[in-house]
Amino acid sequence: MKRMRTLAGISILALVLAACSSGSSDTAAEETAAALDDSNCAAAENFCVGLVTDIGKVDDKSFNQSAHEGAMAAAAEVGGFYKYIETTDTKDYAANMAQFTDKSYDVIVTVGFLMAEATVTAAKANPNTKFIGVDQFQGEEVANVTGLIFPEDQAGFGAGYLAGLMTKTNKIGSVLGLEIAPVQLFAKGFEAGAKKSNPNVSVTTVYHPPADNAFADPVWGAAEAKKQLAQGADIIFGAGGGTGNGALIEIAKAEGAGTSIFCIGVDTDQWFTVPEAQPCLITSAVKGLTEGTTDLVKKAFDGSIAGGNFVGSAGISDYHDFASVVPMDVQDKVAAEVAGLKDGSIKTGVTL
Amino acid sequence: MLDFISENRKPIITLALVTVVAYVFYFLDEIKTTSVLVFGWGYAVPLVLAAMVGIIGERTGVVNIGIEGQMLMSAFASFFGSVITGNIYLGMVIGISAGLVMGAFLAVAAVKWEMDQIIAGVVINIVAAGLTSFFYAPGKTLPQLMPVVSIPILSDIPLIGPVFFRNGLFALATLFIVLAVNYAIFKTRWGLRSRSVGEYPSAADAAGINVLRIRMVNVTLAGALAGCAGAFLALEAAGTFARGLTAGRGFLALAIMIFGAWNPMGALAAALFFGLSTAIASQLQADEVINIPQQFVNLLPFVMTLVVLAIAVGRVRPPAAAGQPYTKEG
Repeated sequence: MKRMRTLAGISILALVLAACSSGSSDTAAEETAAALDDSNCAAAENFCVGLVTDIGKVDDKSFNQSAHEGAMAAAAEVGGFYKYIETTDTKDYAANMAQFTDKSYDVIVTVGFLMAEATVTAAKANPNTKFIGVDQFQGEEVANVTGLIFPEDQAGFGAGYLAGLMTKTNKIGSVLGLEIAPVQLFAKGFEAGAKKSNPNVSVTTVYHPPADNAFADPVWGAAEAKKQLAQGADIIFGAGGGTGNGALIEIAKAEGAGTSIFCIGVDTDQWFTVPEAQPCLITSAVKGLTEGTTDLVKKAFDGSIAGGNFVGSAGISDYHDFASVVPMDVQDKVAAEVAGLKDGSIKTGVTL
Repeated sequence: MLDFISENRKPIITLALVTVVAYVFYFLDEIKTTSVLVFGWGYAVPLVLAAMVGIIGERTGVVNIGIEGQMLMSAFASFFGSVITGNIYLGMVIGISAGLVMGAFLAVAAVKWEMDQIIAGVVINIVAAGLTSFFYAPGKTLPQLMPVVSIPILSDIPLIGPVFFRNGLFALATLFIVLAVNYAIFKTRWGLRSRSVGEYPSAADAAGINVLRIRMVNVTLAGALAGCAGAFLALEAAGTFARGLTAGRGFLALAIMIFGAWNPMGALAAALFFGLSTAIASQLQADEVINIPQQFVNLLPFVMTLVVLAIAVGRVRPPAAAGQPYTKEG
């Protein structure tokens, strides 16, 4: 009997740890001061912001983290209460959102394309709560859902334009996560940009096999990057959460990294989020996730938020240490191109 | 010699065919063929090692569905062991030791406490996922790279050399581990005893074999192989650790074990098949020559597993006592 008790103890410990790490228990979730708890979110003076991640963590160095930081900053700025839940299983989307709606949160941020449907369903059931869907394009307008979308094709286009000018072998590649709209836009934009600056370039585009782990498989990403390098690619775009990060880290280890071989990150400035990739990382194709989320949460606070889609910004990040490696005329051309994309005078021509 | 050939006609013909096809492609495009096969073997290595863990366990009568957790713990231990000690070799030792500890845990739970083996495996998976995410600290880098070793002469063979004999330590060791496990299971006294324990433990007991001890030892030692698989993923394949690094490879390994009919050489072939089809799926996307949606190509290994199992019904069967705790009578 004693043995069974020990065993039960171990199992409970494990479950508690798993729960803590997924952030769904109250002790682990990060809380900002201001409104001290979420027991009376229904009261008008208490502004409560909840965030539900996609499969992934708020320190994933990629889109979950950016949205989390944006929502947290906005809540702090307006003196609201903030809490997040990390999703560990796609089947839990609705349950995780219900944890917030049950307590009458004012704003719920849901992160990721895959949560789009669950978010709209929850919004229709809770008309008094504002929902912000990061990366969720709204086909039909629901009054209390705002989709924060980005012109990913523009970010990819800028990165591709740079890659087309920098490649020596005229072969560039991309290692991608799941084949879904935001990733496809990045990839197609990357290809279009490269073809524009260098018509002779050939672009290899490879997506992770469809599976739950498509954004969290650095081993596959590393192997794919290695294969593309062996086949002559000298600039590789890693776009796909942990999978893409695996590719970047592998390229950073390759012979010639930083001199003849480069990598390009995605979503956020990965110079800071994946320091292991610094030896090869010339730039990142970034979406203004943090700013966009902050803007929308603040709009929700002052009541100016509207249903439908809200287009954030996208572009490429700083060159950091590679500012001296990327020739000045290339930098100027790329800057002109990115500016043209932003003001609409240049079109990427990407369609899905 | 002739007996050997006639007994193993099918595997030999398959092997010869695959080799010929590989070399035809090699002469058409040396670089592509080599890099695709390097990808394929790299993908197969952790699957083969993990399948060995499953095979040793089930041949001895213990079902191990905790391989995923055992690998994850070892990957975590080897990576952070390397980071903390500043030495990748110490990290390897720490990773393999972590595998041994996880193996010992399953052995104690399943054999000594006679706990339901499936539940014990699930507990391992949950414990590993919980502990490794809780203690994970982002932003750490390996102190040094896993050295790439070339075996003299063998590594100079075109195609086969760079794929199998010019690799990191774990990938190099894997081929020899498979041969050793195969020899040990079928040609040694230990192997015969282990198999008898997995098939008919009460008869083995009557013959004077200590059933519980052999199960304890085998399941624990198999954990060390899960340790190798985990350390390979963190130190050699990814060069980093991330939450859920194993990404379901421990479960895929169980499919490979069954596909390979609980036979180490069969599992090696099955894992190579999985690795190669994954590599080909990615290469087809890259080349855009044949326009098959990648989703279909990626389905191939799983469809093949079903086909093989359907054809081989009756001929392929798990060890009879796998999954049953053994209690000595009287």
